[in-house]
Amino acid sequence: MKKLIVYTVWVLLAATVSMTAWAERTHYEMRVDGLACPYCAYGIEKKLSAIDGVQNLDVDLENGLVSVDVTDGVVLKETDMRQLFNDAGFTYRSMTTRPADHDGEHAQ
Amino acid sequence: MKSLFAHSSNIVAQLALAVLFVSPAVAHDPVFALGPHVLFKGGVEIAPQVITANDEDDRDTETSVELTYGLTGDWAAGMELPYVDKSGINDNSGFGDIKLFTKYRFWRRDSLGVQQSAAVLAKVKFDTNAGGLPPLGSGSTDGIFGLAYGYESRKWYRWVSARYRINGENSMGLQSGNKLFIDLVGGIRLNPTAYDEPDTVWMLELNGEYTERSGLQGVSVSNSGGTEWFISPGIFWTLRNFAVKAGVQIPLASDLNGNQPDTDYRARLVLEWHL
Repeated sequence: MKKLIVYTVWVLLAATVSMTAWAERTHYEMRVDGLACPYCAYGIEKKLSAIDGVQNLDVDLENGLVSVDVTDGVVLKETDMRQLFNDAGFTYRSMTTRPADHDGEHAQ
Repeated sequence: MKSLFAHSSNIVAQLALAVLFVSPAVAHDPVFALGPHVLFKGGVEIAPQVITANDEDDRDTETSVELTYGLTGDWAAGMELPYVDKSGINDNSGFGDIKLFTKYRFWRRDSLGVQQSAAVLAKVKFDTNAGGLPPLGSGSTDGIFGLAYGYESRKWYRWVSARYRINGENSMGLQSGNKLFIDLVGGIRLNPTAYDEPDTVWMLELNGEYTERSGLQGVSVSNSGGTEWFISPGIFWTLRNFAVKAGVQIPLASDLNGNQPDTDYRARLVLEWHL
């Protein structure tokens, strides 16, 4: 009986972790102009990281791209992003979205 | 009367050397010249720094902490809290003159990997120093106004700026000559790195300073004022939200009125944290 209970708890735990990993996440990739120096871009990290549900921030200075994954239920609106990047000292241009991979890597 | 003017000339030289009144340390700007950078909205910059100025007779070292806040993405304000140490013919040390400043970036043009911008600066120095001789400040409330343009890209940097300092009159009736600063700066990032990697920019500044003659109780002081030019190599090293900025001003040419000591060199070291 004791073994059955322990086994059941482990199965439930594993299922919970799996469901969390498999919850649909969205990958946002944003084109931003003015990204000349990494030190100056810290404000972007600060502001995006302050949004609940934002994960896996990446700043690609060479290509002017800022990308994040967001958890299910979180939506990044263009108007909000335009203001966010302006407050950080840069210019937002556009964004694309696609489902994120289970392990957080960008979907191909 | 002659001894009064001789004494006043020495005071003016000491005052001019003591009050370095450098540009705010803000972000990715030159070491000595003014740049157009501000701070992201809601950001806080903490910047301890050391500035030293040397001439034939004296060495002035000012240690200060600069605090800046990003009011908007284009407007920042802050204050500087200095501690001054003067050594040479006479010694004195203590808290210096507190400065308040604000910078507004009124123009910005962004493209892929490039930012061009222009900003204006207003800074006021208050007479708050600890006193004593040689003086730790100018004994007056002074103001400085500046205009800067900057071009930044992944590899090349260039800045041009101008500042004008207006000096008040101290309790002895001495008014240091107003000063015009002109700066040209070039910079290069030899090895562009990723966002989360160390980044290094090398800079070279050409700094010009024209100082008007000082006045003592309405009479022009002969051993005051003139023109100086400096060549100033510098480095800006950063990692994410931390920066180290350092440079040295080397005299290139000078044309000082009367009998005044030439500046040997000046050096500045700044640490910056963005929070």
